Amino acid sequence: MFAPSLSGLAASVASDKVVPSLVAEGISKSFVSGIVRTQILERFSFSILPQELTLISGPSGCGKSTLLSILSGLQPADGGRVLALGQDLGQLKSRNLEHFRLRYTGFVFQGFNLFSALTACEQVKLPLAYMGIKGAEANRRVMAVLEEVGMSQHAHLRPTALSGGEKQRVAIARALVKTPKLLFADEPTSALDASSGQVVIDLLHRIARDHGTTVLCVSHDPRLIQHADRVLVMEDGAINREWRSGGHPAARAMVGADTLK
Amino acid sequence: MVALARKTLFREWRRFLPAVLTVCFAGLLLIVQAALVLGIFGSAAIYVTASSGDLWVGYPGTQSVNLGRPIYRDVEMLLRMNPAVTRVEPFLWVDADWHATGVGGVAVSVVGIDPSVKGMVFDHMLSPTLRQDLQEPGSIVVGKADLGQLGVQAGDHAWINGHRVHIVAVIPGLRALGGVNVISSLDTAHNLDPHAGFVTYYVAKLADYAQAPVVAENLNGNPAFGPYQVWTAPAFALRSQLFWMFDTGAGIAVVFLAVIVVLVGAVIASQTLTAVVISLAAEYATLNALGVGMPSLRWVVMEQATWIGGLGLIGGGLLSAVLLVVAHGQNVPVAMTPQVGLICGGLVLALALISGLLAMRGLLRADPASLLR
Repeated sequence: MFAPSLSGLAASVASDKVVPSLVAEGISKSFVSGIVRTQILERFSFSILPQELTLISGPSGCGKSTLLSILSGLQPADGGRVLALGQDLGQLKSRNLEHFRLRYTGFVFQGFNLFSALTACEQVKLPLAYMGIKGAEANRRVMAVLEEVGMSQHAHLRPTALSGGEKQRVAIARALVKTPKLLFADEPTSALDASSGQVVIDLLHRIARDHGTTVLCVSHDPRLIQHADRVLVMEDGAINREWRSGGHPAARAMVGADTLK
Repeated sequence: MVALARKTLFREWRRFLPAVLTVCFAGLLLIVQAALVLGIFGSAAIYVTASSGDLWVGYPGTQSVNLGRPIYRDVEMLLRMNPAVTRVEPFLWVDADWHATGVGGVAVSVVGIDPSVKGMVFDHMLSPTLRQDLQEPGSIVVGKADLGQLGVQAGDHAWINGHRVHIVAVIPGLRALGGVNVISSLDTAHNLDPHAGFVTYYVAKLADYAQAPVVAENLNGNPAFGPYQVWTAPAFALRSQLFWMFDTGAGIAVVFLAVIVVLVGAVIASQTLTAVVISLAAEYATLNALGVGMPSLRWVVMEQATWIGGLGLIGGGLLSAVLLVVAHGQNVPVAMTPQVGLICGGLVLALALISGLLAMRGLLRADPASLLR
């Protein structure tokens, strides 16, 4: 079983010592199509800090989505290891990995993926039952996160009655209701208009700041770049630029804002 | 707990409707087929089930009522000597040739019974007045469903083995499995074919019906009274029905058809359910990404399959009930017992659950990593 060292993480943050919540150590990944083997990632290493919105940007096919799926435990790396909250994901069996994701991670996808038969309230409440949270506590949590994403007035509406931006806010509430330590977002604004995209960006940023959540976002949407605490630009399976404009105070002091690597 | 399976099913009922209808019609086929089998093969034992006798005594090894052979009249003494027996009456079976105006030869089974008011054979079907009418020599009763085949109406005359007979009444529910049943008095039946013997069976009434198996066992095995064998009425009725069902191959055919119905139904229903599961693959994959395990997602599919089975069963049951009532009103031989009804219901639910198991392959598309590509 896994045992993330969250208490150690909190203690280190309190003492201004920056401890990464997500670490990739020499991970490699390739795909085989017929007789052609394509190397996506090769001995890739980096780390992400809590309480900030980290954006991985880059052109299509550069490997950013593959990186996100490996870091979030949705698929294994061919080599290297991923430490999430101090836990080596490669050491977890499939069921334990699902349990880890249930307890500690949230996901937001480009396509919303809401059940058309459920109201916004039910969409958000759905994962809680599987965490064993039911009754009044579940209702309290659901209404709180819907309020936080500005959807409490639309709690009774089904997806067909919601705009794209509203659907994405419900999807964010569905991820947030679990109070995840890690929140992964894949192109969360790409399908949204300017104002809706801005609302979603602000929400993700606020989640990182107010909840202390590690928010890792993958996108090629330039609007997100201005709002991310840290930006990593990927090309051909490697990070070729990185800069920081906010985030954890200790990290800013250590690395320096607007640092171009 | 959010009832995802139920809410999806009821909100998007149009997508699930083909599966529900498949289960519904599979249930209808199973129930109607079972009802026809029970009705048709149940008529093989109509002589026993429509009578109030507790014991039937016939030639040893007789496999069905219609295959009886003459037994010695001494057997009556054996029965009367037993203190548990309160009444004994003979039953004569005569295979004969029917002829009526405008109708060629028809093979009929003449059943000679004791026409007295206290008579046990067919006392569930014949009123005391009708039994009195049968006491008139040459009087017979035929089944309503056989009138077309016999070419007569109540009150008409016809000829059996060349002897003129008078149809004194027509009654429902007398349809025979292998031919046409004609009821007459023992004397009339004997006169129609003197070579058929005097007695094919003896029917006995006991003071205490619960003692029937014990009395039957005690009566069996006394060679001094010639060849005979004693059965309880339910055992003899079942023996006759099983002979027709399985020794003729018809029963195996019915079981085979039931298996085909279940398999075809399961495959068709699973196709619909799989299509629905695949259409929700992204949503299921998102739940899996959020940590909801595959066993929980499989359970959602099985829950939907159970709903489909339940709704299909209700629909099939109601349709079947209407059809069987109509069929019964049209003299079609149909019958149903609680046990057979439960078996049909179980098969319908099994069909739905098999379709759910088959539809689980749709969850293979619910790979959360695929949402990131």
